Amino acid sequence: MRFLFLFRKEWREIFRQKEMVVLLFIAPILQTIILGYVVRPDVTNLPVGIINLSRSIESQRLINRLASSPLFKIRFISLRPLEAEEIFKEGKSKALIVFQDRKKKVEENFFLNFPEVQVLLDGSDANSAMIAAGYFYGLFGQYVATELYREGMVIPFRPRTVIRFNPAINSLHTMGPAIVALLLTIITLLLTGIGLVREKEQQTLDTLLISKLTPFEIFLGKTLPMAAIGLIEMTLGIIVVRVIFGIEPRGNLAYLYLAAAAFLFSILSIGFLISLLSQSQQQALFFCWFTMLLFLMLSGLLTPLENIPPAFRWLTAINPLRYLIAIIREIFLKGHGLTYLWSDILIMTCLGFGAFIFSLSVFRRSVLK
Amino acid sequence: MKQSGNNQNKGKEKIARMARLKAVIKKEFLHMWRDPRSLVIIFVLPLVMIFIFGHVLSFDLKKTETLIIDLDRSLLSRELASRLAASPVYSIYSLSQGASHQKDKINQDSSIKLKDEKNGKENGNEAEGKKAEVKINGKKIIEGNQAESNISSQDKVSSKTKKGLTETADYFEVAEKWLHQGKIKQYLVIPPGFSRKLNSNQSVQVVVVIDGSDANVANRIYQYNERIFYNFFFRAQHLQPPFEPEIKMFFNPEIASTPFIIPGLVAALMLMISAMLTSLSLTREKETGSIDLLFISPLRSGEIILGKTFPYLIIALLVSLSIFLFAHFFFNFHLRGSPLLLFLSILIYLAVGLSLGLLISTVSSSQKVAMLVTLLGTILPSLFLSGFIFPLESLSPILHSLSYFIPATYFLRILRGIALKGASLHHFLFDALILILMSIFLLALATRKFQSLRRAKS
Repeated sequence: MRFLFLFRKEWREIFRQKEMVVLLFIAPILQTIILGYVVRPDVTNLPVGIINLSRSIESQRLINRLASSPLFKIRFISLRPLEAEEIFKEGKSKALIVFQDRKKKVEENFFLNFPEVQVLLDGSDANSAMIAAGYFYGLFGQYVATELYREGMVIPFRPRTVIRFNPAINSLHTMGPAIVALLLTIITLLLTGIGLVREKEQQTLDTLLISKLTPFEIFLGKTLPMAAIGLIEMTLGIIVVRVIFGIEPRGNLAYLYLAAAAFLFSILSIGFLISLLSQSQQQALFFCWFTMLLFLMLSGLLTPLENIPPAFRWLTAINPLRYLIAIIREIFLKGHGLTYLWSDILIMTCLGFGAFIFSLSVFRRSVLK
Repeated sequence: MKQSGNNQNKGKEKIARMARLKAVIKKEFLHMWRDPRSLVIIFVLPLVMIFIFGHVLSFDLKKTETLIIDLDRSLLSRELASRLAASPVYSIYSLSQGASHQKDKINQDSSIKLKDEKNGKENGNEAEGKKAEVKINGKKIIEGNQAESNISSQDKVSSKTKKGLTETADYFEVAEKWLHQGKIKQYLVIPPGFSRKLNSNQSVQVVVVIDGSDANVANRIYQYNERIFYNFFFRAQHLQPPFEPEIKMFFNPEIASTPFIIPGLVAALMLMISAMLTSLSLTREKETGSIDLLFISPLRSGEIILGKTFPYLIIALLVSLSIFLFAHFFFNFHLRGSPLLLFLSILIYLAVGLSLGLLISTVSSSQKVAMLVTLLGTILPSLFLSGFIFPLESLSPILHSLSYFIPATYFLRILRGIALKGASLHHFLFDALILILMSIFLLALATRKFQSLRRAKS
């Protein structure tokens, strides 16, 4: 229990500065709220320009349909041809819809006239352009269906889509809880990462080393305060998610704490390792920042994991954040119990052990020498 | 005589000032040289990041695991399945009814008989009581790495179930289980009588169940489904779809992710290097107390600031150069616009970052605080609120207005304009002006804070 002294020292050191209290406890709340509302990868109000060269009733109907959709915002309607590239360069709109006069012959079965449509997208923002392309297809499909219906034709084949776990496809429900995972990561990793380096820089590490603490005890004393902070922050995050976002978890939150403990073990071991390997706080910071960004980008939070090419799959396999985010979604949205969760928790613990053993060996080799 | 003496004095002072400035810059560079590992990290990590992200990040939907429960088993239902399978967006598993088909004999040994355990689960009236066999022939569609997952899925099913006759309910049980496990993202149920009804122009409903736990993915799957169904309807009737928009992508026709990632990463990294390193280097002097030496030296505040920030300016410029070169040679990222404009706008943006770093260092008492403030106050917002990943137009009005205060918003617009679209100055004059104003304002504020700090100390 000697490590408790170190624990107390670390704890005091963190809270000695008043700014830290604000940074540690107010920032996460704001962060959750802001990110919860920001991190929504769906596109709404996409600025659209329309070039209408057809001036038919049909094109007008389509324009009305576009105007009434929350997905698009019509910035201008031009009746003359315009230079698409110039418009995109100015950034006035991200998509242009061009209605041409119909040139193709209409199928005999359809006595309808559809204007020829071209959708031009600004690919420099590939993400929203891709999403917009999907929206346009959907929109035009629906348009054709209603037009056919208007003419008395029925499309007999209708898909009925049921969205499970999140019926309104609300991205707040998928992103909000997942941000709690970020709270657990960012500050704990950073503080652990600079923990030992700071002592190295200020030459207090030697004092620590000539004390009779074993490396394991130093590890405990250094990481446990961060784990405590992480858990407090997570609790704050969960409160924000429940009270402000109004998302009630479907599963048992006790499992989330279990998963968080496993996650903290792995992320703090990694932080400790970074702290051992770097020579200055600056370096540690860079490593932490890099690790964090890597974990975040490969976590499935922002992009689907299936897209990652096989050569890079191993990177997601050793990413503890990925498992935590999956677990959070399963608990909050799917309401899963341990039968679904245990393997992910086990993997996180194993990753933690790997990093932990490695960091202890580094400690023995480099610091104790 | 007097005049010339004055001039001489001025000249001397100028020389002295230059010498002092040089000394501070030299000191700062020495700090960096003494720590070569940090330098390597600063240069190498961004390149590693771009290498990984350029390969890994892709926002398109690929290989969405889809389970098709085909209760009709007709030509038309297969047609629908193969239409889905033909698209790279889906990767298909299928469960289908009836085992009498020739083709399926090949798969006979891999077919698994499920035993009915629950009766009358949401299986619809028509399907009730029909005997069925589950076939997991997991068609390998696009790439060859599907095989193992099929085998393991079979194992799971077979270990769970006993031999015997099956009911449609089991399909749903399997489908639901897989949906929960995340093995599949959606499942389709093609009802019995699908082709008969479709051919006689009766209404048929295909039920699609999508995993909504990732809203973004769910939404896109939905959109793609609609498109496939839409086309299928007309093709099934041997008609040309009356109306298909032609979609053209400008500037990035193959929708590669690197051109998308690089401007965003450059914006984040430039801020990281300029703001973070400056704020750390000054707070480190505060922590060790060596800043007092600078304060009592004859150096003017402006000189200290210039000397402290100049080296980081150089470093940041070199890093951005190396990023662009790396992207050019390894990722086919070609600059469309003028390199000079790019250089100038990077310079302005760096001025903003350096002033921010300076400002942070004047208000924070330790490196730890400076670091967290920089991270939470500048770097995270410029990742999330700049339009890098999430389009600004989609944000709620309050957050959208917040994005106007973030330098990266303007810089990203300029960067994408120059690098990807080949825009010239008049396209982004407004953004550039705002960045210049921001840098002037922040620099003035930081200088004042710095001066008052110095006055308080001495």
